[in-house]
Amino acid sequence: MNIAGMGLVSARGRGVAALEQALEQGWVPPGEVEVKGLASGRLPVYAVSAETLSDKVVLAKARRADRFTRMAVLAASDALQDSGLGASVDKSRLGIIVATALGPHATTFSFLDGILDFGDAAVSPTAFSHSVHNAAASYIAMTLEARGPTLTVTHFHFAFHQALEIARSWLDQGRCDAVLVGTVDELGSVLHHVCGRMTKSAADGRITPFAFSATPETVPGEGRAFFLMTRDPDGAAYGCIKPVGGAVPDGGASLQLLDADGLAKDERAYRAAVIPGMPVAGYAPLFGGLLTGSAFEVAVAALMLKKQRRYACPVRDNPHSISLLSEPLTAPLSAVVCIKLDCSGRAASILLGRSAS
Amino acid sequence: MAVEKVLITGMGVVSAAGMNVAETLAGFSSGTRNISQTTPSLSPLDYPVFHVSAPLGDPGRFSSRTVHLTFHALDEALADAGLSQDLSGLRVGVCMGTTVASQLNDMDFYTAYRKTGQPPMEPVTGFLKSNLAEAVAFRVKANGPCVTVVNACSSSADAIGVALGWIRNGQCDLVIAGGGDELSRIPICGFSSLSVFSHEPCRPYDRDRQGLNLGEGAGIVILEPESAARRRGSRASLFVGGYDAACDAHHLTAPRPDGSGLEAAIRGSLAEAGIQTQEVGFVNAHGTATRDNDKVEGGVLARVFGTGIKVLSTKGFTGHTLGAAGALEAAFTALALREGWIPASAGFENQDEEIPIGAVRERTTVSARYAVSTSLAFGGNNASLVIGREP
Repeated sequence: MNIAGMGLVSARGRGVAALEQALEQGWVPPGEVEVKGLASGRLPVYAVSAETLSDKVVLAKARRADRFTRMAVLAASDALQDSGLGASVDKSRLGIIVATALGPHATTFSFLDGILDFGDAAVSPTAFSHSVHNAAASYIAMTLEARGPTLTVTHFHFAFHQALEIARSWLDQGRCDAVLVGTVDELGSVLHHVCGRMTKSAADGRITPFAFSATPETVPGEGRAFFLMTRDPDGAAYGCIKPVGGAVPDGGASLQLLDADGLAKDERAYRAAVIPGMPVAGYAPLFGGLLTGSAFEVAVAALMLKKQRRYACPVRDNPHSISLLSEPLTAPLSAVVCIKLDCSGRAASILLGRSAS
Repeated sequence: MAVEKVLITGMGVVSAAGMNVAETLAGFSSGTRNISQTTPSLSPLDYPVFHVSAPLGDPGRFSSRTVHLTFHALDEALADAGLSQDLSGLRVGVCMGTTVASQLNDMDFYTAYRKTGQPPMEPVTGFLKSNLAEAVAFRVKANGPCVTVVNACSSSADAIGVALGWIRNGQCDLVIAGGGDELSRIPICGFSSLSVFSHEPCRPYDRDRQGLNLGEGAGIVILEPESAARRRGSRASLFVGGYDAACDAHHLTAPRPDGSGLEAAIRGSLAEAGIQTQEVGFVNAHGTATRDNDKVEGGVLARVFGTGIKVLSTKGFTGHTLGAAGALEAAFTALALREGWIPASAGFENQDEEIPIGAVRERTTVSARYAVSTSLAFGGNNASLVIGREP
């Protein structure tokens, strides 16, 4: 299936141009938030700015929505806009799939605040209706007037991979002409606390994807990456995505991206997952650690294929002397594989090709 | 080339209507409604609920009640299909629907966070181990695609639709599909705030309906391509013929007044099944008993199938089980085709003049080979499943 358009919202801004700028600029230090209950009292994070979410035109129908949904609506709308297919897509055959690990938890906790502060009989119906995982998909559908199937799926490691395969299934079955598929996960005060206690914070603010550490360090991130997928060979602005595999392919790609973001308790398995002889890159240091961060790696890979440009790794600590992509390079690039491992070392890979499928 | 049938080779259900298929059918036949009231340990709000009161089986390492309910139904479905609990030798997919189990909404954890800033982390680690599909996959050692659908009230109907796609695409030899949800303080508060609860047992499609009751439960179907199922000796006669879904793109909590999204989903599912509307013997409607849902849904069913279509809502026996509803109702639909009867639609007495169809008032014989189960969700998603029976 082909990638016709992309939309992104991250700490580095909104849209494909912001992604490209971040890749050219490289690593920048994260921000910091105050965190209740942590000994340090602070946590480095890559958070999406309020300014990034301030588009009153696109968000007109989502003006009551929370940050989780606003990020989703912007990225999905941008993906459709970026494809240039907005006017030609039959909205009754436009599907939406949202993948998330944790859903709109900040709104869930806001709803719990209502219970604790005002009692069970006096909670906000708005907070409740926005706390369901599929509120974001609903707002995307309303904003884009998309009348095809909408689906929200969750998985703690491979939500995006599963969503991509469902999108492929919908296209293959003729259920949809085009599918907007993407991820969203957000930070919030409780998640800051949970991350502070359950992960090891990178003191210098740098995620090191190639350390393959038994005790990896991370900087939590948030954001959204959306893709407009089609079967139309003319809609392959960013190339295509081959069937998602459980095993790491041993051929076909000339660059591998590792989604090692420090969220796992142990990242040593990534060392064994590296395909020998193939250059390695990883971009989690730009966006932070997200359970659905694979979507950002795929966005980088797609942009590389479109631009025929390899972007240098933003953090290049390389204690294992692997073949790291340390300098930018403009040269032919036909395929890129993105590799993700879960906590038990199971792998999932996404192979992107330059030509239409 | 003809599309291979996707058989339902095993079913498991648990709800207030019964702890298994046999109990549920007995309850449907007698018209028993096992309704109780919320207890203080569940919620300080006083509403009727459909609670599963009998003990559940051993959940292993999982603490979530939704997982317990789901494992209970899973064990029955595996036994019904003649399968062991170790499916590691097959390409097995797991697609489950839920709502409550997808949220980190532990009140004790959050209360401690607010008060002390140092909450115990066990609720978080427990939550991170309890993604419903991942839990089911862990229990049966499944190694195929695995995902939890969180589409509010259509979650598990959509999960069956996703599973159907996996089998038709050749990704799996077998898929465990369904859903589960527990009664919880959070949705009780939420639905109460939306003023959609009834203070009496719910009356789907009735003129005097006042709203819904919440319930809990789980429903599981085992889906297999016909050729593979027959090779291992299955004599299953029920199948999922078609599925479709469409979004209202209208409102976060209210259905589109013209019902066009639901109509598109139903017509799409019939087309996928390759059947005409007159081949459908009955519809197991979403039928929540809210004013809006039943009015919109009833209008669509009359428009698609005609006013003579037999309609029931099994929510009169189970309450609204949210993420479990679609799978439970798909299983009930399949059972009705197999047994040749549908129960009286519990709570229905008087037809609403605003709805061109009514629900069945008595146990009714059905001889058709096909039936439809509909699901409407928060967020505007509509799902329709066509269930079939071989002659």
